Amino acid sequence: MGTIATSRQKGRRSWVIHLFPLPALILYALFVVYPIFSAFTYSLYDWQGIKRGVFVGLKNFTTLFTVEPFNEMFWNAFSHNLLYFVVEMIVQNGVAFTLAFFIYRKIRGAGFLKVAYFIPRLLSVIVVGFLWKLIFNPNYGALNTFLTKIGLAEWARPWLGDTDTALLAIILVNCWFGVGFAMLIFLAGLQSIPEELIEAARLDGARGITMLWKIILPLCMPAITIMTIFTFIQAFEAFELVYAMQGSMGEPFYSTDTLAVYFYRMAFSSAGGGDVSIGLGSALAVVLFIIVASVSALSMHLMRKREVQH
Amino acid sequence: MKKYRFHKAASVLLAAGLLLTGCSGGGGDAAKPSEPGGTPGGSQGGGTEQVTLSMHSWRVEDTEGYAKIIAAFEAENPNIKIDFKPFKATEYNTILNTALQSDSGPDILQLRPYAAGTALAEAGYLEPLDSLAGITNFPKDVLKGATGKDGKVYGVPLSLSTTQFYYNKKIFEQNGLKEPKSWDELIATAKALKEKGIVPISLGAKEGWLLSLSHGVIAPANLRDGDIAKLLKGEIDLKSPEFLKSVQRMQELTPYFPENYVGLEQNDMRTLFATEKAAMYINGSFDLEAIKKLNPDLQLDFFPMPTDDGKAVITTWVDGSYAVNAKSKHKPEALKFMEFMTTKKFAEMYANELKMISAMPGVPLQDPLLNKMAELSQSSPAPYLMIIHFSEGNPTTKKTLENSLQGMYLGKLTPEQVADDVQKSAATWFAPFKK
Repeated sequence: MGTIATSRQKGRRSWVIHLFPLPALILYALFVVYPIFSAFTYSLYDWQGIKRGVFVGLKNFTTLFTVEPFNEMFWNAFSHNLLYFVVEMIVQNGVAFTLAFFIYRKIRGAGFLKVAYFIPRLLSVIVVGFLWKLIFNPNYGALNTFLTKIGLAEWARPWLGDTDTALLAIILVNCWFGVGFAMLIFLAGLQSIPEELIEAARLDGARGITMLWKIILPLCMPAITIMTIFTFIQAFEAFELVYAMQGSMGEPFYSTDTLAVYFYRMAFSSAGGGDVSIGLGSALAVVLFIIVASVSALSMHLMRKREVQH
Repeated sequence: MKKYRFHKAASVLLAAGLLLTGCSGGGGDAAKPSEPGGTPGGSQGGGTEQVTLSMHSWRVEDTEGYAKIIAAFEAENPNIKIDFKPFKATEYNTILNTALQSDSGPDILQLRPYAAGTALAEAGYLEPLDSLAGITNFPKDVLKGATGKDGKVYGVPLSLSTTQFYYNKKIFEQNGLKEPKSWDELIATAKALKEKGIVPISLGAKEGWLLSLSHGVIAPANLRDGDIAKLLKGEIDLKSPEFLKSVQRMQELTPYFPENYVGLEQNDMRTLFATEKAAMYINGSFDLEAIKKLNPDLQLDFFPMPTDDGKAVITTWVDGSYAVNAKSKHKPEALKFMEFMTTKKFAEMYANELKMISAMPGVPLQDPLLNKMAELSQSSPAPYLMIIHFSEGNPTTKKTLENSLQGMYLGKLTPEQVADDVQKSAATWFAPFKK
């Protein structure tokens, strides 16, 4: 081929380029779009065990929200997802931003710390769950042993067996797991702030908190937006760690139920048999999808507006 | 320009690669269902066609035992090969259901006991086995574990499970204690142990299924055959004093559980007992091997539940059976294996290779404790109410009991509220309560 392409060749070339995303789109359609639609159709039928029964319209949805115990379990799980979100926003993202800020300010050992904070993320969720289950074990777990050693024996408790602490313990483990990732996102946001802007603000007399609040945070808004939406999606899809640490029953006494765990239990009910409700499970999956998709889209829209362009 | 061309070539290659992997994945799946058929073009003709049956189970720990049993069967039936495939117990239902729905189910499948398993028959996935010659070798009660609502038998029963109080003989002897013969004696024994600083009963409330299992042992002390008959007719319900008392007794045992028991799982419970820190341990016959493996020197024994009328009963149920996929391409061969499973030869191999109580009466076991459990399960069984009669509903009544008992042990519910929850759950599906 010569160095000068004819216009025909150019036209064909750009046409071919448009085909390149096709494999990815096909895979996406097959494994993401299709399941969402099939879940929606499943949710419109009455299922007898694993056999599809008659078309019932939105009955599964009304059952989910009006019939005991399904409605109670839904709002119970929903409130746990909310708690997940709030605690992760405050603890995980709060800590992550602080760490990112110190690394950004180039404290001593920043490079090492950056890697150290990210290490938990490299472990598989199942390993993380198992590890922390051992730490939380009421009999020989490291946490209770430690508390006893430092004279706080009365603080020792069955962390994962108590309704007051089980969910919070899991959420905090999730924060520990996620802090490294959040920190990298924030760090990227901080590093993208043009040096001139900081310099200009400094010349105008901005220092310390004012600098952080008035200059750095607003300029960091894109990263904060992304992380908020990430955290929301993660919180509302919380499953793996709960499943790894507590199984799919929401034990003890439904205190660790999240919408995804509740969905899994209802749709597959795999431990020890019992009725499976594919219809109800699919309805819940659709509801979960609507919550996550709409809130993500809405918050993306609202928060983008508040972002400062630079 | 050169760079651009290279990019283009790479992208095309990449795209082709993605397409290929997509295709080969699909192709592999499509080829799978025909694979067990094993009818490669040329080798047809003659009656000695080789057939491979797939067999699914939720007992990964049984793989070695089945290998021996299957080898014995294959020696007698050289044209049949069996591919035993176990899955993790908690994932099994999901895998099986998905396979059955997509018509790629195994030829032979292990069936959950009672309603959970026969639901598959109601959905039309199972072959009735009433005409199987050896099926009459099992008592009617045992066949109930795999009998559908239409009265047909859908599974060859495999094993019985029992639950009971295991106890540490050495600790009992050192403290001058004997097997309790009544509820009061049980409480007195527990009290005496507690005063000596020994954990009386190793029980944890973190895993709900262990609570319904323990309830299954405690309940028959006062909930006797007559009461159960009344319950099943709807003459009494789960809020009546007979059932309520069984829940109150679960609560009465609380002071004798280990510290922080709400956070303990089966592993923790077993370890406490096996390491001689606890004197008693409520668990199933299926846990015997695991206890012995942890501490082979443990002076282990068990006692069945003493009842209020001076007897002792052992909680017994059919734990799984094997069924044939109604859509199997090799039904005659699969039925042949079912027939083999109804023979004494199979029952003996199964019992001794896998250390389980065979569902066939009178199969001797090498382990004396297991043998004693097997004998008691014939002479004085008590039903595991929640598995045999109350395992339906959504969530199942069994699961409702488990969660409410957790609530009770966490101080959130009273025994009355537990009984109330359980009754409410049963009333949503149990016909005699619907009146």
